Amino acid sequence: MPLTIDSSRSGDRAVIRLEGTIDASSAERVRQAVDAALADHPAWLELDVEQVVFMSSAGLRVVIFAKQKEPDVKIAFRKPQPPILETLKKTGFFSAVYVIGDEE
Amino acid sequence: MPTFAGTLDSLEPIRAYVGAAAANAGLDSSKVYDLCMAVDEIATNIVTHGYEESGGSGSIDVEAAPESGSVVVRLFDSSPEYDPDERVVSDEELATELADRPIGGLGIFLVRKSVDEFRYARLDGRNVHTFRVKLP
Repeated sequence: MPLTIDSSRSGDRAVIRLEGTIDASSAERVRQAVDAALADHPAWLELDVEQVVFMSSAGLRVVIFAKQKEPDVKIAFRKPQPPILETLKKTGFFSAVYVIGDEE
Repeated sequence: MPTFAGTLDSLEPIRAYVGAAAANAGLDSSKVYDLCMAVDEIATNIVTHGYEESGGSGSIDVEAAPESGSVVVRLFDSSPEYDPDERVVSDEELATELADRPIGGLGIFLVRKSVDEFRYARLDGRNVHTFRVKLP
C-alpha cells in the first residue's frame, strides 16, 4: 500500500497524517515531512498513524531524527494500530513519546 | 521459490508473499505481522547494506512454508558476507533519551524480538537468513 502524507498546522501542533505503510522505501518521505514540520519549532509533533497498517524500524528512525533535530518537541502518535503500539513498546519508544487514543 | 529484485520496491511484495504463506499455514494476524516485520528488516538490510553499499546489485529469493510445526521463511541473496550481530542495539541503549539513541541496530533488535528463531549462514556464496515462528 503506497504511503500518503498530509501535513497541517493547528496552533502549536504540527500534525502529519499518514496512511499506508512506512518501510525503508517510504520513510524518507516521512522524514522530509517531519523536517518541514519542525522548521518553525512547533511544541508538538503529532503523527496521526490511525491508517498506518505497517511500520518498520525505518519509521522509528524518523522519530529519532525528529528528536535530534528538535530535542524539545513533544512527539505524539495518534491512534496507533495494535501491532504498531506493540513495536513502540518493544523498542522502548512508548515511554519516550505520547500516545493519543480515542479520548482526545 | 519466488525471486524479487534486490531493491526497496520489493519490500512490499516480499511482505505480501510471506504474509500470505504464514496466514495460510495458520499463524494468527499478530504473528503474521511480526514475521513480516522481521523479514522486512532483513530484506531492507540486504538491499541497503548488502547490495547498495557494496556497489552491487542482485536479487532476493524468498521461501516461505510450513515445516515441522513452524512457519519457516528463508531469504537467499548474493551480497557480501556480513555479521548480522555486529551492531545490535542494547537494552541499555533503549533506555536512553531518544535523541541519544544510536540510529543503527534497531532493525536486528526487532527481528530478534519478533520471531521464535532467527539464524544467519553463509552457504555456497550466498547469505541465508532463516526465520522460524511456531504454529499454534
